[in-house]
Amino acid sequence: MVDITIWVGVFFTLAIYSILYRENPWFRIAESCYLGVAVGYAVGQDLKYIRDQWGGQWSSSGGMMLLFAIVMIIGLLWYGRFNKNLFYLYRWPLAIVVGTGIGAALRTVIFSQFLAQITSQANTPFFVAGDMMATINNILVQIMVPSVLLYFWFTGEIRESAPMKVVEKIARYTMMAGFGSAYGYTVLTRYSLFIGRSQFLLGIPPNPADARTAFYVIAFIMLATMIGYDMFMKKETPEE
Amino acid sequence: MSILDKINNLDRRWIYLLAWVFVLFPLLNPLGLPIPISQDARTWYDYVENEINDGDVVLFTPMYGVSGMPELFPMTVATMKHLMTKDVQIIVVSFWTEGPLVFNTLLTQVDPTDYGYVYGEDWIRLGYVPGSETAMGSFGANIHNTVTADYVEGRSLSSFPIMENVRTGEDIDVIVSFETGTPGTSEWMRQFNAPFGTPQITGCIGVSVSGMIPYLQSGQLQALMPGLTVSAEYEILLDKPGLAVAGVDAVSTSHVYVTLLVILGNIAYFMTKEED
Repeated sequence: MVDITIWVGVFFTLAIYSILYRENPWFRIAESCYLGVAVGYAVGQDLKYIRDQWGGQWSSSGGMMLLFAIVMIIGLLWYGRFNKNLFYLYRWPLAIVVGTGIGAALRTVIFSQFLAQITSQANTPFFVAGDMMATINNILVQIMVPSVLLYFWFTGEIRESAPMKVVEKIARYTMMAGFGSAYGYTVLTRYSLFIGRSQFLLGIPPNPADARTAFYVIAFIMLATMIGYDMFMKKETPEE
Repeated sequence: MSILDKINNLDRRWIYLLAWVFVLFPLLNPLGLPIPISQDARTWYDYVENEINDGDVVLFTPMYGVSGMPELFPMTVATMKHLMTKDVQIIVVSFWTEGPLVFNTLLTQVDPTDYGYVYGEDWIRLGYVPGSETAMGSFGANIHNTVTADYVEGRSLSSFPIMENVRTGEDIDVIVSFETGTPGTSEWMRQFNAPFGTPQITGCIGVSVSGMIPYLQSGQLQALMPGLTVSAEYEILLDKPGLAVAGVDAVSTSHVYVTLLVILGNIAYFMTKEED
């Protein structure tokens, strides 16, 4: 028996990939459906959370219910964004979200993303007995990290001194190496996504085997419609 | 027009078509290229095997959506299988909207009952918690107030034996996080590692690796699993080859393809530049 969900999955995967050929209706259908489904899913999850919160603690007493109502009203102020006259109301929930978000992050950012890194850098030994690679790695870390930090020091005459030019050069090479590494990992990620979907399309276990048939059929139909349309339009357009 | 000009002005669709060929061919005809085990995979395996002890409370967090599944799902499945071979308590929660969807898919491949895990006693699902980092902070301060009902049965957390003694971030022994971005490890560091000292291991997509390395070097992260290839190595260490192993040939061929394109593109660019 044909599992329609597999065919739907294959259709939308190929429809999204069809943008590689050119902009086309298959892609636009898939793009719109994806946006609609993703937003619907997110709203559903959020509403479930609100419902659970109400049942869990906020409906337990009159005072809690009142607080819940206030919070809901503040939440509804987000929708002021859609009306010019009520736009100012939207700034209240925005201010609360930004304020609490920054406050929550700043509480510990100095420890987790500043002091811990400085301590780690200071504790990195130049030499690791019996491990040449670790020694080289640590020496590079001890040279490169301060160089990059100094690269972003923009004030004072010392900035133009000869030693600083050397430091700048080391820093530039360091950053180039970092960007190259990031690019390589980005290629890995993009291809991993593509490989994952390809495994689905080819029905490689534990993906359903039916997907391969759906892949061949739907890919043929999509390519035929797009290439056929292009050939038809080319024929219709008189040559100059 | 010379051949170099043709390369410079090549229709991008030929490049895409070749990309399909380089990926689909090794998937259809596995090349069986050797997969050496890296230190990253070994550290991850050793940590789960030796550092997570029986009875530990593990916060298992799929912090990604369906778009991150091709790269992160194999390692999520493999780690869950590894964890379930031990006698730990697993709390599944996500601060990404699609986290529960990812975990639903995981349950089609990993049946906790096969490992003797009983829902509510040995493991529990708390679903999705909206609010990003603020919610993570709230979760650490008071789990029972932040999540009032479990995801599967909709019952109060207090009614589950597994949650009786787990009330704040202090009661979590280790965080196992798989993530594609924000909120992710930086937020866990700020909301759990800094205030509670909770150890953490993170599986991430390749793009995020550069940002994760400092946490690993500082010892804030205990292990890092960067991307699909290390996932494959981990599957081999576990002796449970899965989707990552099946895809690693295609990773190799696709990277060869990109490298060839970069070399060819540079040759064509510099030679036509000289001609100009």
